[in-house]
Amino acid sequence: MTRLPDEIRPVLDNGIPAVMVTCSSDGIPNVTVISQVYYVDDTHAALSFQFFSKTIRNVRENPRAYVRVWDMIGHTSWVLQLEFQHSETEGPVFDAMDMQIEAIASTTGMSGIFKLRAADIYRVVSVERVPYAEWTAS
Amino acid sequence: MERPTPGPETRPPPRSVMIPEKIARFLEQRANVAFAGTRSRDLLPLGHRVSGWRMGADGRTLTAFLPEPFSAGLVESLQDNGELALTVEDFPAHETYQFKGRYVRHRPVQGEDIAIVDRIRERFMKSMRAVFPMAPERTLGAFILRPALSVEFEVSAIYVQTPGPGAGARIMPPAEA
Repeated sequence: MTRLPDEIRPVLDNGIPAVMVTCSSDGIPNVTVISQVYYVDDTHAALSFQFFSKTIRNVRENPRAYVRVWDMIGHTSWVLQLEFQHSETEGPVFDAMDMQIEAIASTTGMSGIFKLRAADIYRVVSVERVPYAEWTAS
Repeated sequence: MERPTPGPETRPPPRSVMIPEKIARFLEQRANVAFAGTRSRDLLPLGHRVSGWRMGADGRTLTAFLPEPFSAGLVESLQDNGELALTVEDFPAHETYQFKGRYVRHRPVQGEDIAIVDRIRERFMKSMRAVFPMAPERTLGAFILRPALSVEFEVSAIYVQTPGPGAGARIMPPAEA
């Protein structure tokens, strides 16, 4: 069973938007920027369902998802392969994500636009740390 | 007799669309960050960091410039099924569009490509400085990586991804087409 390492937790909370890739059952990939990847426990993450309906449709057809989060200070990114399990519209995970979304919205000028509709719960299939090198003059 | 269902690879390629002038200006003047998505033969989604982009002279193709650590599995997927999605954003304004299309070709980047990425990188750093004024220059600059690979694709659909009620709306081809 793949577990999220402790060192990824501050990266999930750093406020830098993450990127998510899904794929429809007929093979069309879809990329979306997501404002929050929430740590549920060491084998599950929750993603905010706000308005990216194509993503929502895709993971219900094909539950696999690719998520990349960024640690800009550490010049590192993390790649998560996830599998959609279920959606929650109430409860502690939803409430915590809702509060975080409000905070992100207010600091990025998106109040009234960012609104959590559901917390989608994913199982962590794999996690990989990918450092990147600084651009140096050639 | 039951007929086999055609797989994604046997689907006729969609027709290319012209990138509207408004979106072309966005790509050339304001957009500062991008990410690409592909998928494997068995529909596993894959993501690829993109350092820059350029619109083709005919207005129907886009070329994405990708750094080495983020191109794993990219060429294999594109040569297998040709499907590519590219999301391009103006951060922190959040104006965002997604381009979907079919792989045309790839090659190593050239000097002109790196000059384009350098301009985008400057634009990105300027925008980020407004949001993170205390962030070290090298931290912001390191986010846009030196590209290694150029991938050209024919654009078959464009969607709005700017957060809000219009997110997900298709711009091209128009809904009535």
